[in-house]
Amino acid sequence: MDRFINEIKAELGNNGDFHLQRDYLADAAVMLLGFNTLIDFIKTRTVLHKHAESILLQNQPSEDLWGAIGELMEGDVLKAISSIYEGKLIIHFENTSRFIIMEPVPAMLDRSIDSPTNENVIQGALDSFTEGIDINIGIVRKLVNSDEIRIDSFSAGRSRKNKLSLLYIDGQADIELVNSIRNHIEKNIQMEAYNLQGLAKMLGFPSWNAISKFNTTELPHHAVQNLRKGKVILFVDRLPFALILPSLFWDMFAAENDRNFPLPIMLAIRLIRIIGILITLITPGLYVALVSVNPEVLQIQLALSVAQSREGVPYPALAEIIFMLLILELILEASVRLPKSIGPTITMVGGIILGQAAVEAKLVSNLLIIILAATTIANSTIVGFQNSVSIRLFKYAIVILGAIFGILGLVAGLVFLSAYLASLNTYGKSYLYLNVKGNENNGG
Amino acid sequence: MHVMLMYVISHLGLIFFMYPGNVISSTEQGHWLPVLLGVVIHFIFINIYMKGLSYFPKKDIIRIYAGIGKGTAILFIAPVFLYFSMILLITLRAYAEIITIVFLSKTPLWAIMLLLISISTYIAAKGVETIFRTGLLLSLLFLPIIIFIFFTSFQNVDWRYVVPLDADLGFIIKRTYLESFFAFSGGFLFLGFVQPYFSYDRKYILWAAAFLIPFFLFSVYIPVLTFGQATSATTFLPYVVAVDAININWLMFDRVTMFFLLSLISFIMLYLALVSWKAIRILSHYLPSIKPVKLLLALAAAVYIACFFIPDWKDVEKLFWWNTFLRFYILIAIPFSLFFFGRCMKRKGIDESI
Amino acid sequence: MNPYNLKSKAPITVCLLLTVMILTGCWDIRDINHRTLPVVLGISTIEDDQYKVFLKIPEPVEGSMEVKIVSATGETISHAVDVISRNMETSVDLLHVKVIMIERKTAEEGMKDIIAGFMRSREVSSKALVTICDQNMDEFFSKLSESKNLKGTNMFDYFEKNAGWNPEIALTRIWEVYRSIHSYTRDVAIPLIVTGDTTTYEQVGSAVIKNGKMVEQISNDETLLFNAFNDESTHGQIEVLNHASVMIIGNSMNHHTDLTDKQPVLQSRINLKVVVLETRGKTSSDMIKKELSHLLSSRFSSMLANLQESEADILGLGQLYRTKIDRNELKNWRSVYYPNLKSDIQFQIDIQNEGYLRTT
Repeated sequence: MDRFINEIKAELGNNGDFHLQRDYLADAAVMLLGFNTLIDFIKTRTVLHKHAESILLQNQPSEDLWGAIGELMEGDVLKAISSIYEGKLIIHFENTSRFIIMEPVPAMLDRSIDSPTNENVIQGALDSFTEGIDINIGIVRKLVNSDEIRIDSFSAGRSRKNKLSLLYIDGQADIELVNSIRNHIEKNIQMEAYNLQGLAKMLGFPSWNAISKFNTTELPHHAVQNLRKGKVILFVDRLPFALILPSLFWDMFAAENDRNFPLPIMLAIRLIRIIGILITLITPGLYVALVSVNPEVLQIQLALSVAQSREGVPYPALAEIIFMLLILELILEASVRLPKSIGPTITMVGGIILGQAAVEAKLVSNLLIIILAATTIANSTIVGFQNSVSIRLFKYAIVILGAIFGILGLVAGLVFLSAYLASLNTYGKSYLYLNVKGNENNGG
Repeated sequence: MHVMLMYVISHLGLIFFMYPGNVISSTEQGHWLPVLLGVVIHFIFINIYMKGLSYFPKKDIIRIYAGIGKGTAILFIAPVFLYFSMILLITLRAYAEIITIVFLSKTPLWAIMLLLISISTYIAAKGVETIFRTGLLLSLLFLPIIIFIFFTSFQNVDWRYVVPLDADLGFIIKRTYLESFFAFSGGFLFLGFVQPYFSYDRKYILWAAAFLIPFFLFSVYIPVLTFGQATSATTFLPYVVAVDAININWLMFDRVTMFFLLSLISFIMLYLALVSWKAIRILSHYLPSIKPVKLLLALAAAVYIACFFIPDWKDVEKLFWWNTFLRFYILIAIPFSLFFFGRCMKRKGIDESI
Repeated sequence: MNPYNLKSKAPITVCLLLTVMILTGCWDIRDINHRTLPVVLGISTIEDDQYKVFLKIPEPVEGSMEVKIVSATGETISHAVDVISRNMETSVDLLHVKVIMIERKTAEEGMKDIIAGFMRSREVSSKALVTICDQNMDEFFSKLSESKNLKGTNMFDYFEKNAGWNPEIALTRIWEVYRSIHSYTRDVAIPLIVTGDTTTYEQVGSAVIKNGKMVEQISNDETLLFNAFNDESTHGQIEVLNHASVMIIGNSMNHHTDLTDKQPVLQSRINLKVVVLETRGKTSSDMIKKELSHLLSSRFSSMLANLQESEADILGLGQLYRTKIDRNELKNWRSVYYPNLKSDIQFQIDIQNEGYLRTT
């Protein structure tokens, strides 16, 4: 055993899946080193031998073979170790310090391209991004199919390197935007970016933003369409979605797949989404405002029936609505946690039984249940899950303001929200731009 | 586009409350003349103002005056700042009072004022771009409501109240008429502040001003046409009362006034934000060592506290009246001086180049 | 560009919001079920200039609406309401009052202050209807509370245009009454209501209000003309003649005015579209036309004569002369011009169709 192997062994030997195998390649004695969890050894060896044979049959010198297999290195043990961690195969020549880093046949750890799980598509392409960054980039390349696409790759993080890729179309994307993203990544290359929070920190976004600066999507078509419009896609290895930058307000209403419908229907769908966001924001606040502060706004018949439905409810409207909203959030959260087979049960128990029982027991008014149902349904019309979560949060601010100032509070809440949305920007691109080119003739 | 919208919004917020009452009580008949006179004066002055500004491309008026000399800066900028603080104070106090009169009779004034000032301060703190973008969003949300209710307010109109049409000029010296100019002079100064941030076409501003004419006219005429002059002169906020009389059966809401007023209040919040931003621009130009946000908070706090020293509506009106002099000074002096200096600069520039 | 850095402000904003939240308990926000929302407000005067106020309150009881009637007296209306509010378990909010009922006696004495009070406070919507009770108010409300079919908002429904309204009922809102107090040329008519024998209410005619005082009374038929004149629809109104009954399905009119030497002359043509419903004996359409036109114009001129006598211009005829009379003179419209008004009203009848049968 030579020194090289010993050093590597000392470093990796306590890993159960570290594999060390002796082999002969073109009459040289070599050691194959690698993790058998990451490398399919049997297949790799077969490939290796076939390779060696074909080279030898043509009577080429074995040096050529080494060059063809991979990168030939000398002595750098640390490099070898980090390569092993990255899932490479090291072919070491016995009793020398030379080794080859070879791209092996990897063990099948990625799932295949599947249909999207978080975003539903009606009448549209059904493929979706997966965890492997290379697969994702491949999908995008296949869809764009142009020589203008640019892909910048980085590997970020201190201990474990994670791959990041920045995709944009040259000539479409705003070069300032691309540069500022690239500069931020390069400056903070040491930061860990496994999740969106980490990534946001890396890109220098304030961490207290209620609205995500990334527009995430699982759908390659959606991503590519945005790419064509001049936005930038960021892929992070192991995250099965594309992060589209900058995220714009209009993205809440427009899904790319809408364009598979005739124009009037597309417009109608988007109108419904706009109504959806307004209903989500306004109705709970309106209920509180009308019930407790400004009942004169309601028509008399409505006022009487509301009063009737609230007869016997022991606490103020604000407490009532916050209580029910909280339960609703719990149901939503629970159905995310639960396995798919139990999920519907919870929905039923929560939605129907609890709601009905709460009304029967006069804990809440039945009008409130209707309003909550409308709110929750309307909330789901918004494109992009992370957007609908943000809107869900804003509605509480409006409810509280509405409880204090009635309809004035409601309007004040809307003004505040508008101001907040207006103040957001990503590297100088306002959140309200209709597209990245800086035209603000907004439609929503 | 933004500047135009902002222009419309800030004026709309001002038009519908006190302006109709002022004009109606200023003359007994032929209200079109005072309105028209106001509009014409408005047009003349914004034209001169914009013309004056166009001599100084990419400069806001603070820098223009500061560039001319210390004396002129004090002569013009100090009154402007005072004027802005007065506007903040009066608008905040008056609108809080109107809100309590119209729909929140039980809510204490301080809470309403706190709400108004904190939201407008928040918006102002975010800078001018946010103000303008918020204006865009708000106009998308609320402008349809306002226009809808504006049209339904013709419901109870009796066109025969239009006559008699003949008018005399006796209203010009009436105090209420002079006060009515706040609706014209309140908003236009911002055109001189946005220069480095937004560029605008003068033509569009004039279009926006033209768009406002029907609102000016009918804000006065709808109460007159609904109630007749004699009746509407007895009301405090004639337009609000007129809108209150609208009856829409098919709407699930009973008092549409509320929505109309609130939409306008949202514009007022934005207007307050704009005014405080302008005031802060002036302050931070002369006190560069202090952070603008701190100045803004101090200004908001000062205005808020000052509001408590105005005990009742009579005092609001008194302040309003005092401010009228300042308003006319601003309305006349600023556009003319800019125009004058601009001309001088140009001539000098030509001389030098020869 | 200097978008101020606000990172440090987020916690401050949150704190501010929290303080505001804590402070919300400071003023009383009452939930709707802790408010009493009366629909009808009845006002009468008793001795020593005191107001007696009646409130008709719909009360939700076990799935249906019952009605409660309460009353109190006070120096002012708001004081009386306050007394009621004090004595009730919930607080009284006049926000939803839809009908204001004033006793005839009070109306005759003048109700300027009452109306001005409602306009001022804004608590009562200025869209609330004004009616006059041609009966002792105590009696009226006690009869009402005995009545069985008293449910929810039925008084309001009686006047509601998309429910129980019909063209013989004058619809007059607070702001219109208020306008008539100040206007030079316009008065209003207010329905006179009593409790009915078989129905809950009965309209006995309309009161003519001039300057906030009731000065004259017109019948139901005349109210129809009043409505027709004011462009309220008269659709579906049935007119009974000697030989036939017809249904009015449309009306339109045009006026021609003249003013010669303080003597206003009015020529009006009112076009009515009618449908024949029933005939008696031998009737031709010409006869129906003639009869109807005669009936209406005589009814109209007698009403106008009555009104001129009491100098109350509920038809708003003065409005037509606004172009002709100077504004200063207009102030004297009611006293100088209006009583001298000469009118020539013609009713033009069109029989739109005659149903399935032919009339000769």
